[in-house]
Amino acid sequence: MSQYLPVVALAIVTVLFGALSFGASRLLAPRRPSSAKSAPYECGILPSQEPPERFPVSFYIVAMLFIMFDIEIIFVYPYAVARSSLGLYGFVAIVVFSVLFFLTFVYEVARGGLDWGPLQRSRNLESAAAVVSPERTTTTTIRRVGTEGRGEPGEAA
Amino acid sequence: MTGVLAIDPLLFGELKWMPLVIVALKVLVIFVVGLVGTMFMVWFERKVIAGMQNRIGPNKAGPFGILQTLADGVKLFFKEDLLPDRADRFVFRLAPFLAFVPAFLVWAVLPLGGDYRDGNRGLVEWFGHATRVQLADPPVGILLVLALSSIAVYGIMLAGWSSGSKYPLLGAVRATAQMVSYEAALGLSLAAVLLTSGSLSTVGIVGTQDSLSNWNVVATGVVPFVIFVIAATAELNRPPFDLVEAEQELVGGFNTEYSSLRFALFFLAEFMNTITMSGVIVTLFLGGPQPLAIGDWTADIPLVGNGLEGTIWFLLKLLLFLYIYVWFRATLPRLRYDQLMDLGWKVLIPISLGWFLLLAALRLGRDEDWNVWLVAGVSVAGLLVAAVVMFGAMKVSGRNRQQGAVY
Repeated sequence: MSQYLPVVALAIVTVLFGALSFGASRLLAPRRPSSAKSAPYECGILPSQEPPERFPVSFYIVAMLFIMFDIEIIFVYPYAVARSSLGLYGFVAIVVFSVLFFLTFVYEVARGGLDWGPLQRSRNLESAAAVVSPERTTTTTIRRVGTEGRGEPGEAA
Repeated sequence: MTGVLAIDPLLFGELKWMPLVIVALKVLVIFVVGLVGTMFMVWFERKVIAGMQNRIGPNKAGPFGILQTLADGVKLFFKEDLLPDRADRFVFRLAPFLAFVPAFLVWAVLPLGGDYRDGNRGLVEWFGHATRVQLADPPVGILLVLALSSIAVYGIMLAGWSSGSKYPLLGAVRATAQMVSYEAALGLSLAAVLLTSGSLSTVGIVGTQDSLSNWNVVATGVVPFVIFVIAATAELNRPPFDLVEAEQELVGGFNTEYSSLRFALFFLAEFMNTITMSGVIVTLFLGGPQPLAIGDWTADIPLVGNGLEGTIWFLLKLLLFLYIYVWFRATLPRLRYDQLMDLGWKVLIPISLGWFLLLAALRLGRDEDWNVWLVAGVSVAGLLVAAVVMFGAMKVSGRNRQQGAVY
Protein backbone atom coordinates (compact mmCIF):
# COMPACT_ATOMS: atom_id res chain seq x y z
CA MET A 1 0.00 0.00 0.00
CA SER A 2 2.98 2.29 0.45
CA GLN A 3 2.72 3.04 -3.28
CA TYR A 4 -0.33 5.13 -2.48
CA LEU A 5 1.35 7.08 0.31
CA PRO A 6 2.48 9.96 -1.96
CA VAL A 7 -1.03 10.26 -3.39
CA VAL A 8 -2.47 10.56 0.10
CA ALA A 9 0.23 13.10 0.99
CA LEU A 10 -0.62 15.19 -2.07
CA ALA A 11 -4.32 15.03 -1.19
CA ILE A 12 -3.56 16.30 2.32
CA VAL A 13 -1.42 19.14 0.95
CA THR A 14 -4.18 20.16 -1.47
CA VAL A 15 -6.91 20.12 1.17
CA LEU A 16 -4.64 22.12 3.48
CA PHE A 17 -3.98 24.65 0.73
CA GLY A 18 -7.70 25.10 0.20
CA ALA A 19 -8.44 25.38 3.91
CA LEU A 20 -5.62 27.88 4.51
CA SER A 21 -6.79 29.98 1.59
CA PHE A 22 -10.27 30.08 3.09
CA GLY A 23 -8.77 31.14 6.41
CA ALA A 24 -6.83 33.94 4.70
CA SER A 25 -9.86 35.02 2.73
CA ARG A 26 -11.97 35.08 5.89
CA LEU A 27 -9.45 37.46 7.49
CA LEU A 28 -8.98 39.66 4.44
CA ALA A 29 -12.38 39.82 2.81
CA PRO A 30 -15.09 42.28 3.81
CA ARG A 31 -18.31 40.98 5.29
CA ARG A 32 -21.34 43.08 4.40
CA PRO A 33 -24.18 40.67 3.79
CA SER A 34 -27.50 41.97 2.59
CA SER A 35 -30.72 40.28 1.63
CA ALA A 36 -30.18 41.11 -2.03
CA LYS A 37 -26.76 39.51 -2.02
CA SER A 38 -27.91 36.28 -0.45
CA ALA A 39 -30.96 35.90 -2.68
CA PRO A 40 -30.68 33.48 -5.63
CA TYR A 41 -28.96 35.22 -8.52
CA GLU A 42 -31.29 35.78 -11.42
CA CYS A 43 -29.74 38.72 -13.19
CA GLY A 44 -31.51 41.29 -11.03
CA ILE A 45 -35.02 39.93 -11.57
CA LEU A 46 -36.80 38.99 -8.37
CA PRO A 47 -37.07 35.19 -8.25
CA SER A 48 -40.70 34.32 -8.93
CA GLN A 49 -40.49 30.55 -9.28
CA GLU A 50 -38.86 27.94 -7.12
CA PRO A 51 -36.01 26.02 -8.75
CA PRO A 52 -37.46 22.90 -10.36
CA GLU A 53 -37.57 19.75 -8.31
CA ARG A 54 -38.18 17.46 -11.24
CA PHE A 55 -36.16 16.95 -14.38
CA PRO A 56 -36.97 15.59 -17.81
CA VAL A 57 -36.80 11.82 -17.67
CA SER A 58 -34.15 11.83 -20.44
CA PHE A 59 -31.52 12.73 -17.89
CA TYR A 60 -32.36 9.67 -15.82
CA ILE A 61 -32.23 7.50 -18.93
CA VAL A 62 -28.77 8.84 -19.68
CA ALA A 63 -27.69 8.06 -16.14
CA MET A 64 -28.98 4.50 -16.37
CA LEU A 65 -27.36 3.97 -19.78
CA PHE A 66 -24.11 5.21 -18.31
CA ILE A 67 -24.25 2.51 -15.65
CA MET A 68 -24.73 -0.06 -18.41
CA PHE A 69 -21.71 1.26 -20.26
CA ASP A 70 -19.70 1.33 -17.08
CA ILE A 71 -20.41 -2.36 -16.66
CA GLU A 72 -19.24 -2.93 -20.22
CA ILE A 73 -16.06 -0.96 -19.48
CA ILE A 74 -15.43 -2.89 -16.27
CA PHE A 75 -15.81 -6.09 -18.24
CA VAL A 76 -13.56 -4.93 -21.07
CA TYR A 77 -10.58 -3.59 -19.08
CA PRO A 78 -9.52 -6.87 -17.45
CA TYR A 79 -9.78 -8.54 -20.84
CA ALA A 80 -7.67 -5.80 -22.46
CA VAL A 81 -4.94 -6.21 -19.85
CA ALA A 82 -4.96 -10.02 -19.66
CA ARG A 83 -5.77 -10.65 -23.32
CA SER A 84 -2.87 -12.96 -24.11
CA SER A 85 -3.61 -15.38 -21.28
CA LEU A 86 -7.36 -15.44 -21.90
CA GLY A 87 -7.05 -16.30 -25.59
CA LEU A 88 -10.01 -17.26 -27.76
CA TYR A 89 -12.32 -17.97 -24.83
CA GLY A 90 -11.98 -14.43 -23.46
CA PHE A 91 -12.58 -12.90 -26.87
CA VAL A 92 -15.75 -14.91 -27.45
CA ALA A 93 -17.02 -13.91 -24.00
CA ILE A 94 -16.38 -10.24 -24.78
CA VAL A 95 -18.08 -10.44 -28.17
CA VAL A 96 -21.15 -12.23 -26.80
CA PHE A 97 -21.50 -9.69 -24.02
CA SER A 98 -20.96 -6.75 -26.39
CA VAL A 99 -23.53 -8.03 -28.86
CA LEU A 100 -26.22 -8.46 -26.18
CA PHE A 101 -25.28 -5.09 -24.81
CA PHE A 102 -25.33 -3.42 -28.22
CA LEU A 103 -28.77 -4.82 -29.00
CA THR A 104 -30.27 -3.35 -25.83
CA PHE A 105 -28.58 -0.05 -26.68
CA VAL A 106 -30.01 -0.13 -30.20
CA TYR A 107 -33.47 -0.83 -28.77
CA GLU A 108 -33.08 2.16 -26.50
CA VAL A 109 -32.10 4.36 -29.44
CA ALA A 110 -34.96 3.06 -31.60
CA ARG A 111 -37.50 3.81 -28.85
CA GLY A 112 -36.25 7.40 -28.84
CA GLY A 113 -34.63 7.23 -25.41
CA LEU A 114 -31.76 9.40 -26.57
CA ASP A 115 -33.75 11.99 -28.51
CA TRP A 116 -33.45 15.47 -27.11
CA GLY A 117 -35.49 18.61 -27.31
CA PRO A 118 -38.09 19.61 -29.86
CA LEU A 119 -37.95 18.36 -33.41
CA GLN A 120 -35.69 20.49 -35.57
CA ARG A 121 -37.48 21.45 -38.77
CA SER A 122 -36.21 23.77 -41.42
CA ARG A 123 -38.50 26.76 -41.37
CA ASN A 124 -39.60 28.87 -44.28
CA LEU A 125 -38.30 32.23 -43.15
CA GLU A 126 -40.34 34.34 -45.56
CA SER A 127 -43.70 32.90 -44.62
CA ALA A 128 -42.72 33.09 -40.97
CA ALA A 129 -41.88 36.76 -41.36
CA ALA A 130 -45.23 37.40 -43.01
CA VAL A 131 -47.19 36.11 -40.03
CA VAL A 132 -46.08 38.72 -37.56
CA SER A 133 -48.22 38.72 -34.48
CA PRO A 134 -47.55 39.27 -30.80
CA GLU A 135 -49.38 36.04 -29.95
CA ARG A 136 -47.64 32.74 -29.38
CA THR A 137 -48.10 30.34 -32.26
CA THR A 138 -48.30 26.56 -32.32
CA THR A 139 -44.73 26.19 -33.54
CA THR A 140 -42.92 28.60 -31.29
CA THR A 141 -43.27 30.23 -27.91
CA ILE A 142 -41.46 33.34 -29.07
CA ARG A 143 -43.76 36.31 -29.51
CA ARG A 144 -43.09 38.01 -32.78
CA VAL A 145 -43.37 41.71 -32.32
CA GLY A 146 -44.73 43.53 -35.32
CA THR A 147 -44.78 47.20 -36.16
CA GLU A 148 -48.27 47.93 -34.79
CA GLY A 149 -48.28 50.48 -32.04
CA ARG A 150 -45.06 52.01 -33.22
CA GLY A 151 -44.79 55.33 -34.89
CA GLU A 152 -43.54 55.91 -38.38
CA PRO A 153 -39.76 55.80 -38.73
CA GLY A 154 -38.29 59.15 -37.87
CA GLU A 155 -41.30 60.24 -35.83
CA ALA A 156 -40.55 60.96 -32.20
CA ALA A 157 -41.94 58.28 -29.92
CA MET B 1 6.44 -9.45 -14.06
CA THR B 2 5.34 -6.01 -15.22
CA GLY B 3 3.43 -5.67 -11.99
CA VAL B 4 6.62 -6.02 -9.98
CA LEU B 5 8.63 -3.79 -12.31
CA ALA B 6 6.00 -1.07 -12.30
CA ILE B 7 6.37 -0.51 -8.58
CA ASP B 8 8.48 2.47 -7.59
CA PRO B 9 11.59 0.91 -6.02
CA LEU B 10 11.82 3.90 -3.72
CA LEU B 11 8.79 2.77 -1.77
CA PHE B 12 9.54 -0.90 -1.89
CA GLY B 13 10.31 -2.73 1.32
CA GLU B 14 10.42 -0.91 4.62
CA LEU B 15 10.27 2.86 4.71
CA LYS B 16 13.43 4.71 5.68
CA TRP B 17 14.22 8.37 6.24
CA MET B 18 15.74 9.29 2.91
CA PRO B 19 12.90 7.90 0.76
CA LEU B 20 10.41 9.77 2.91
CA VAL B 21 12.31 13.02 2.39
CA ILE B 22 12.39 12.41 -1.34
CA VAL B 23 8.64 11.73 -1.34
CA ALA B 24 7.97 14.90 0.64
CA LEU B 25 10.11 16.88 -1.82
CA LYS B 26 8.27 15.36 -4.75
CA VAL B 27 4.89 16.18 -3.24
CA LEU B 28 5.90 19.80 -2.70
CA VAL B 29 7.45 20.15 -6.14
CA ILE B 30 4.41 18.62 -7.87
CA PHE B 31 2.08 20.84 -5.89
CA VAL B 32 3.99 24.02 -6.67
CA VAL B 33 4.50 23.05 -10.31
CA GLY B 34 0.79 22.30 -10.53
CA LEU B 35 -0.21 25.69 -9.16
CA VAL B 36 2.31 27.64 -11.21
CA GLY B 37 1.43 25.60 -14.28
CA THR B 38 -2.23 26.47 -13.84
CA MET B 39 -1.41 30.14 -13.54
CA PHE B 40 0.68 29.85 -16.67
CA MET B 41 -2.15 28.06 -18.46
CA VAL B 42 -4.65 30.82 -17.67
CA TRP B 43 -2.21 33.42 -18.95
CA PHE B 44 -1.33 31.28 -21.98
CA GLU B 45 -4.96 30.83 -22.91
CA ARG B 46 -5.77 34.52 -22.58
CA LYS B 47 -2.68 35.55 -24.52
CA VAL B 48 -3.08 33.04 -27.33
CA ILE B 49 -6.78 33.65 -27.74
CA ALA B 50 -6.09 37.38 -27.77
CA GLY B 51 -3.64 36.81 -30.59
CA MET B 52 -6.19 34.76 -32.49
CA GLN B 53 -8.77 37.51 -32.07
CA ASN B 54 -6.34 40.23 -33.06
CA ARG B 55 -6.15 41.75 -29.58
CA ILE B 56 -3.20 42.24 -27.25
CA GLY B 57 -4.47 40.41 -24.19
CA PRO B 58 -3.11 40.87 -20.67
CA ASN B 59 0.00 43.05 -20.81
CA LYS B 60 0.11 45.13 -17.65
CA ALA B 61 1.02 42.83 -14.75
CA GLY B 62 4.61 41.74 -15.16
CA PRO B 63 6.45 41.10 -18.42
CA PHE B 64 3.92 40.18 -21.15
CA GLY B 65 1.22 40.22 -18.47
CA ILE B 66 2.45 36.92 -17.13
CA LEU B 67 1.55 37.83 -13.55
CA GLN B 68 -2.05 38.65 -14.48
CA THR B 69 -3.38 35.40 -13.01
CA LEU B 70 -1.54 36.01 -9.77
CA ALA B 71 -3.05 39.48 -9.58
CA ASP B 72 -6.52 38.07 -10.21
CA GLY B 73 -5.97 35.42 -7.56
CA VAL B 74 -4.88 37.97 -4.99
CA LYS B 75 -7.90 40.08 -5.84
CA LEU B 76 -10.22 37.15 -5.19
CA PHE B 77 -8.79 36.83 -1.67
CA PHE B 78 -10.15 40.29 -0.90
CA LYS B 79 -13.63 39.66 -2.23
CA GLU B 80 -16.66 38.98 -0.09
CA ASP B 81 -17.56 35.33 0.30
CA LEU B 82 -21.30 34.94 -0.20
CA LEU B 83 -23.40 32.08 1.08
CA PRO B 84 -26.87 32.20 -0.48
CA ASP B 85 -29.88 31.82 1.83
CA ARG B 86 -31.27 28.85 -0.01
CA ALA B 87 -27.94 27.03 -0.14
CA ASP B 88 -27.26 23.77 1.60
CA ARG B 89 -24.44 25.10 3.74
CA PHE B 90 -22.33 21.99 4.18
CA VAL B 91 -22.52 20.76 0.58
CA PHE B 92 -22.04 24.27 -0.76
CA ARG B 93 -18.75 24.48 1.13
CA LEU B 94 -17.70 20.94 0.27
CA ALA B 95 -18.25 21.14 -3.50
CA PRO B 96 -15.23 23.31 -4.43
CA PHE B 97 -12.95 20.84 -2.67
CA LEU B 98 -14.51 17.93 -4.54
CA ALA B 99 -13.65 19.69 -7.78
CA PHE B 100 -10.23 20.98 -6.76
CA VAL B 101 -8.58 18.03 -4.98
CA PRO B 102 -9.11 15.39 -7.71
CA ALA B 103 -7.80 17.85 -10.30
CA PHE B 104 -4.53 17.99 -8.39
CA LEU B 105 -4.30 14.28 -7.63
CA VAL B 106 -4.18 13.27 -11.29
CA TRP B 107 -0.70 14.77 -11.38
CA ALA B 108 0.46 12.07 -9.00
CA VAL B 109 0.29 9.23 -11.51
CA LEU B 110 1.58 11.01 -14.64
CA PRO B 111 5.18 10.27 -15.61
CA LEU B 112 6.61 13.78 -15.87
CA GLY B 113 10.01 12.73 -17.12
CA GLY B 114 12.70 10.14 -16.62
CA ASP B 115 14.80 7.97 -18.83
CA TYR B 116 12.72 5.47 -20.78
CA ARG B 117 15.36 4.61 -23.37
CA ASP B 118 16.72 1.10 -23.87
CA GLY B 119 14.07 -0.40 -21.62
CA ASN B 120 15.08 1.76 -18.67
CA ARG B 121 11.49 2.14 -17.46
CA GLY B 122 11.93 5.72 -16.34
CA LEU B 123 14.29 5.20 -13.43
CA VAL B 124 16.56 8.06 -12.38
CA GLU B 125 19.02 8.32 -9.51
CA TRP B 126 18.28 10.91 -6.83
CA PHE B 127 20.45 11.17 -3.69
CA GLY B 128 21.65 7.64 -4.31
CA HIS B 129 18.13 6.22 -4.58
CA ALA B 130 16.59 4.91 -7.77
CA THR B 131 13.22 6.53 -8.30
CA ARG B 132 10.88 7.90 -10.95
CA VAL B 133 10.06 11.45 -12.01
CA GLN B 134 6.51 10.84 -10.96
CA LEU B 135 4.90 10.97 -7.59
CA ALA B 136 3.42 7.51 -7.43
CA ASP B 137 3.08 4.58 -9.74
CA PRO B 138 0.23 2.46 -8.47
CA PRO B 139 -0.44 -0.65 -10.59
CA VAL B 140 -3.92 0.75 -11.38
CA GLY B 141 -2.65 4.19 -12.43
CA ILE B 142 -5.11 4.81 -15.25
CA LEU B 143 -8.08 3.57 -13.23
CA LEU B 144 -7.11 6.12 -10.60
CA VAL B 145 -7.28 8.85 -13.25
CA LEU B 146 -10.75 7.70 -14.31
CA ALA B 147 -11.92 7.48 -10.70
CA LEU B 148 -10.69 10.99 -9.95
CA SER B 149 -12.39 12.42 -13.01
CA SER B 150 -15.61 10.75 -11.80
CA ILE B 151 -15.27 12.44 -8.42
CA ALA B 152 -14.87 15.78 -10.20
CA VAL B 153 -18.39 15.25 -11.60
CA TYR B 154 -19.67 15.18 -8.03
CA GLY B 155 -18.01 18.52 -7.36
CA ILE B 156 -19.88 20.17 -10.22
CA MET B 157 -23.18 18.39 -9.59
CA LEU B 158 -23.26 19.16 -5.87
CA ALA B 159 -22.17 22.76 -6.46
CA GLY B 160 -25.16 23.34 -8.71
CA TRP B 161 -27.60 21.42 -6.54
CA SER B 162 -26.59 22.99 -3.25
CA SER B 163 -26.83 26.56 -4.56
CA GLY B 164 -30.63 26.47 -4.32
CA SER B 165 -30.91 28.58 -7.43
CA LYS B 166 -32.28 28.02 -10.90
CA TYR B 167 -29.36 28.51 -13.25
CA PRO B 168 -26.75 26.59 -11.27
CA LEU B 169 -29.16 23.67 -10.96
CA LEU B 170 -29.82 23.55 -14.70
CA GLY B 171 -26.10 23.90 -15.40
CA ALA B 172 -25.30 21.09 -13.00
CA VAL B 173 -27.86 18.72 -14.49
CA ARG B 174 -26.54 19.42 -17.95
CA ALA B 175 -22.96 19.02 -16.80
CA THR B 176 -23.64 15.71 -15.11
CA ALA B 177 -25.39 14.24 -18.16
CA GLN B 178 -22.65 15.51 -20.45
CA MET B 179 -19.70 14.34 -18.38
CA VAL B 180 -21.28 10.98 -17.71
CA SER B 181 -21.99 10.44 -21.42
CA TYR B 182 -18.52 11.30 -22.56
CA GLU B 183 -16.93 9.34 -19.77
CA ALA B 184 -18.30 6.21 -21.42
CA ALA B 185 -16.68 7.18 -24.73
CA LEU B 186 -13.48 8.08 -22.89
CA GLY B 187 -13.36 4.73 -21.10
CA LEU B 188 -14.06 2.69 -24.21
CA SER B 189 -11.42 4.44 -26.32
CA LEU B 190 -8.99 3.94 -23.44
CA ALA B 191 -9.61 0.19 -23.63
CA ALA B 192 -7.89 0.16 -27.04
CA VAL B 193 -4.76 1.60 -25.43
CA LEU B 194 -4.85 -0.99 -22.66
CA LEU B 195 -5.14 -3.67 -25.31
CA THR B 196 -1.86 -2.63 -26.96
CA SER B 197 -0.05 -1.86 -23.70
CA GLY B 198 -1.34 -4.75 -21.62
CA SER B 199 -0.90 -2.72 -18.44
CA LEU B 200 -2.89 -0.27 -16.35
CA SER B 201 0.16 1.39 -14.81
CA THR B 202 1.23 4.64 -16.47
CA VAL B 203 4.87 3.52 -16.47
CA GLY B 204 3.87 0.32 -18.23
CA ILE B 205 1.87 2.25 -20.82
CA VAL B 206 4.73 4.68 -21.51
CA GLY B 207 7.26 1.84 -21.52
CA THR B 208 5.68 0.09 -24.50
CA GLN B 209 5.71 3.22 -26.70
CA ASP B 210 9.42 3.23 -27.53
CA SER B 211 9.25 4.42 -31.15
CA LEU B 212 6.87 6.37 -33.32
CA SER B 213 5.26 3.24 -34.76
CA ASN B 214 4.70 2.01 -31.19
CA TRP B 215 3.16 5.25 -29.98
CA ASN B 216 -0.41 4.34 -29.21
CA VAL B 217 -1.73 7.03 -31.52
CA VAL B 218 -0.31 4.93 -34.37
CA ALA B 219 -0.46 1.47 -32.79
CA THR B 220 -4.19 1.66 -32.06
CA GLY B 221 -5.00 3.28 -35.40
CA VAL B 222 -5.78 6.98 -35.02
CA VAL B 223 -9.50 6.44 -34.20
CA PRO B 224 -9.25 5.91 -30.39
CA PHE B 225 -6.95 8.93 -30.17
CA VAL B 226 -9.44 11.19 -31.95
CA ILE B 227 -12.32 9.88 -29.84
CA PHE B 228 -10.31 10.30 -26.67
CA VAL B 229 -9.40 13.91 -27.49
CA ILE B 230 -13.03 14.79 -28.28
CA ALA B 231 -14.34 13.02 -25.18
CA ALA B 232 -11.66 14.64 -23.02
CA THR B 233 -12.65 18.08 -24.32
CA ALA B 234 -16.24 17.33 -23.36
CA GLU B 235 -15.14 15.95 -19.99
CA LEU B 236 -13.33 19.23 -19.33
CA ASN B 237 -16.40 21.28 -20.30
CA ARG B 238 -14.21 23.26 -22.64
CA PRO B 239 -15.43 24.83 -25.87
CA PRO B 240 -17.03 23.62 -28.09
CA PHE B 241 -18.60 21.53 -25.32
CA ASP B 242 -19.00 24.29 -22.74
CA LEU B 243 -22.78 24.04 -22.48
CA VAL B 244 -22.32 23.73 -18.76
CA GLU B 245 -21.54 27.41 -18.51
CA ALA B 246 -23.25 28.67 -21.62
CA GLU B 247 -23.42 32.30 -20.56
CA GLN B 248 -26.27 33.24 -22.85
CA GLU B 249 -28.58 30.64 -21.35
CA LEU B 250 -27.33 29.87 -17.87
CA VAL B 251 -25.52 32.99 -16.64
CA GLY B 252 -22.47 31.21 -15.19
CA GLY B 253 -23.72 27.65 -15.00
CA PHE B 254 -23.03 25.59 -11.91
CA ASN B 255 -20.83 28.20 -10.25
CA THR B 256 -23.17 31.19 -10.61
CA GLU B 257 -23.67 31.52 -6.85
CA TYR B 258 -20.01 31.11 -6.00
CA SER B 259 -17.80 34.07 -5.27
CA SER B 260 -14.42 34.87 -3.83
CA LEU B 261 -12.12 31.93 -3.11
CA ARG B 262 -14.75 29.28 -3.63
CA PHE B 263 -15.05 30.47 -7.21
CA ALA B 264 -11.27 30.63 -7.47
CA LEU B 265 -11.05 26.95 -6.53
CA PHE B 266 -13.48 25.98 -9.30
CA PHE B 267 -11.56 28.15 -11.73
CA LEU B 268 -8.23 26.62 -10.70
CA ALA B 269 -9.69 23.12 -10.96
CA GLU B 270 -10.95 23.80 -14.47
CA PHE B 271 -7.60 24.90 -15.79
CA MET B 272 -5.73 22.29 -13.79
CA ASN B 273 -7.95 19.65 -15.39
CA THR B 274 -7.06 21.01 -18.82
CA ILE B 275 -3.37 20.52 -18.10
CA THR B 276 -3.71 17.12 -16.46
CA MET B 277 -6.01 15.82 -19.18
CA SER B 278 -3.48 16.94 -21.80
CA GLY B 279 -0.88 15.11 -19.72
CA VAL B 280 -3.05 11.99 -19.73
CA ILE B 281 -3.45 12.19 -23.51
CA VAL B 282 0.31 12.58 -23.94
CA THR B 283 0.96 9.64 -21.62
CA LEU B 284 -1.57 7.37 -23.25
CA PHE B 285 -1.11 8.15 -26.91
CA LEU B 286 2.11 10.09 -27.54
CA GLY B 287 4.57 8.15 -25.41
CA GLY B 288 4.81 10.60 -22.51
CA PRO B 289 8.49 11.32 -21.82
CA GLN B 290 9.69 9.05 -24.62
CA PRO B 291 11.77 10.86 -27.23
CA LEU B 292 10.66 10.89 -30.84
CA ALA B 293 12.17 7.79 -32.43
CA ILE B 294 11.64 6.50 -35.94
CA GLY B 295 13.12 3.07 -36.56
CA ASP B 296 16.69 3.17 -35.24
CA TRP B 297 16.94 6.94 -35.32
CA THR B 298 16.20 8.82 -32.10
CA ALA B 299 15.76 12.57 -31.84
CA ASP B 300 18.34 13.46 -29.21
CA ILE B 301 18.41 16.83 -27.50
CA PRO B 302 22.11 17.72 -27.20
CA LEU B 303 23.78 18.75 -23.94
CA VAL B 304 20.96 17.34 -21.82
CA GLY B 305 21.08 14.08 -19.93
CA ASN B 306 18.60 11.38 -20.77
CA GLY B 307 16.77 11.83 -17.46
CA LEU B 308 16.07 15.52 -17.97
CA GLU B 309 15.37 15.03 -21.64
CA GLY B 310 12.25 13.03 -20.76
CA THR B 311 10.83 16.05 -18.97
CA ILE B 312 11.56 18.28 -21.97
CA TRP B 313 9.82 15.90 -24.36
CA PHE B 314 6.85 15.63 -22.02
CA LEU B 315 6.57 19.43 -21.79
CA LEU B 316 6.81 19.87 -25.56
CA LYS B 317 4.01 17.37 -26.17
CA LEU B 318 1.96 18.87 -23.36
CA LEU B 319 2.27 22.39 -24.80
CA LEU B 320 1.05 21.07 -28.14
CA PHE B 321 -2.20 19.91 -26.56
CA LEU B 322 -2.61 23.03 -24.44
CA TYR B 323 -2.34 25.05 -27.63
CA ILE B 324 -4.82 22.79 -29.40
CA TYR B 325 -7.35 23.31 -26.59
CA VAL B 326 -7.06 27.08 -26.89
CA TRP B 327 -7.30 26.75 -30.65
CA PHE B 328 -10.54 24.74 -30.28
CA ARG B 329 -11.95 27.53 -28.18
CA ALA B 330 -11.06 30.20 -30.71
CA THR B 331 -12.34 28.23 -33.69
CA LEU B 332 -15.33 26.06 -32.91
CA PRO B 333 -18.83 27.31 -32.12
CA ARG B 334 -20.69 25.74 -29.22
CA LEU B 335 -22.80 22.66 -29.92
CA ARG B 336 -26.54 22.52 -29.33
CA TYR B 337 -27.52 20.20 -26.51
CA ASP B 338 -29.15 17.51 -28.67
CA GLN B 339 -26.16 17.60 -31.02
CA LEU B 340 -23.87 17.13 -28.05
CA MET B 341 -25.75 14.09 -26.77
CA ASP B 342 -26.11 12.61 -30.26
CA LEU B 343 -22.40 12.98 -30.91
CA GLY B 344 -21.56 11.27 -27.64
CA TRP B 345 -24.04 8.41 -27.65
CA LYS B 346 -24.73 7.70 -31.30
CA VAL B 347 -21.31 8.36 -32.79
CA LEU B 348 -18.40 8.20 -30.37
CA ILE B 349 -19.53 5.34 -28.12
CA PRO B 350 -20.52 2.86 -30.86
CA ILE B 351 -17.38 3.65 -32.87
CA SER B 352 -15.05 3.23 -29.91
CA LEU B 353 -16.68 -0.06 -28.89
CA GLY B 354 -16.52 -1.35 -32.46
CA TRP B 355 -12.92 -0.28 -32.87
CA PHE B 356 -11.95 -2.01 -29.64
CA LEU B 357 -13.52 -5.27 -30.82
CA LEU B 358 -11.78 -4.92 -34.21
CA LEU B 359 -8.38 -4.45 -32.55
CA ALA B 360 -9.02 -7.33 -30.16
CA ALA B 361 -9.96 -9.60 -33.08
CA LEU B 362 -6.84 -8.62 -35.04
CA ARG B 363 -4.57 -9.28 -32.07
CA LEU B 364 -6.25 -12.58 -31.34
CA GLY B 365 -5.84 -13.55 -34.98
CA ARG B 366 -2.13 -12.71 -34.79
CA ASP B 367 -1.70 -14.79 -31.65
CA GLU B 368 -3.51 -17.78 -33.11
CA ASP B 369 -1.82 -17.47 -36.53
CA TRP B 370 -5.05 -16.98 -38.44
CA ASN B 371 -5.14 -15.37 -41.87
CA VAL B 372 -4.99 -11.62 -41.22
CA TRP B 373 -7.20 -10.67 -44.16
CA LEU B 374 -9.83 -13.23 -43.24
CA VAL B 375 -9.97 -11.96 -39.64
CA ALA B 376 -10.11 -8.34 -40.78
CA GLY B 377 -12.79 -9.13 -43.37
CA VAL B 378 -15.02 -11.00 -40.92
CA SER B 379 -14.62 -8.29 -38.24
CA VAL B 380 -15.35 -5.45 -40.64
CA ALA B 381 -18.39 -7.33 -41.95
CA GLY B 382 -19.64 -7.76 -38.37
CA LEU B 383 -19.11 -4.07 -37.64
CA LEU B 384 -20.93 -3.11 -40.85
CA VAL B 385 -23.93 -5.20 -39.77
CA ALA B 386 -23.86 -3.43 -36.40
CA ALA B 387 -23.67 -0.05 -38.16
CA VAL B 388 -26.67 -0.93 -40.34
CA VAL B 389 -28.66 -1.97 -37.25
CA MET B 390 -27.66 1.28 -35.54
CA PHE B 391 -28.70 3.42 -38.51
CA GLY B 392 -31.97 1.48 -38.70
CA ALA B 393 -32.65 2.27 -35.05
CA MET B 394 -31.94 5.95 -35.60
CA LYS B 395 -34.26 5.95 -38.59
CA VAL B 396 -37.06 4.31 -36.60
CA SER B 397 -36.73 6.81 -33.77
CA GLY B 398 -36.66 9.68 -36.25
CA ARG B 399 -39.81 8.41 -37.96
CA ASN B 400 -41.60 7.96 -34.66
CA ARG B 401 -40.72 11.51 -33.71
CA GLN B 402 -42.03 12.86 -36.99
CA GLN B 403 -45.31 11.09 -36.39
CA GLY B 404 -45.41 12.39 -32.86
CA ALA B 405 -45.57 8.95 -31.30
CA VAL B 406 -46.12 9.04 -27.57
CA TYR B 407 -44.60 6.40 -25.35
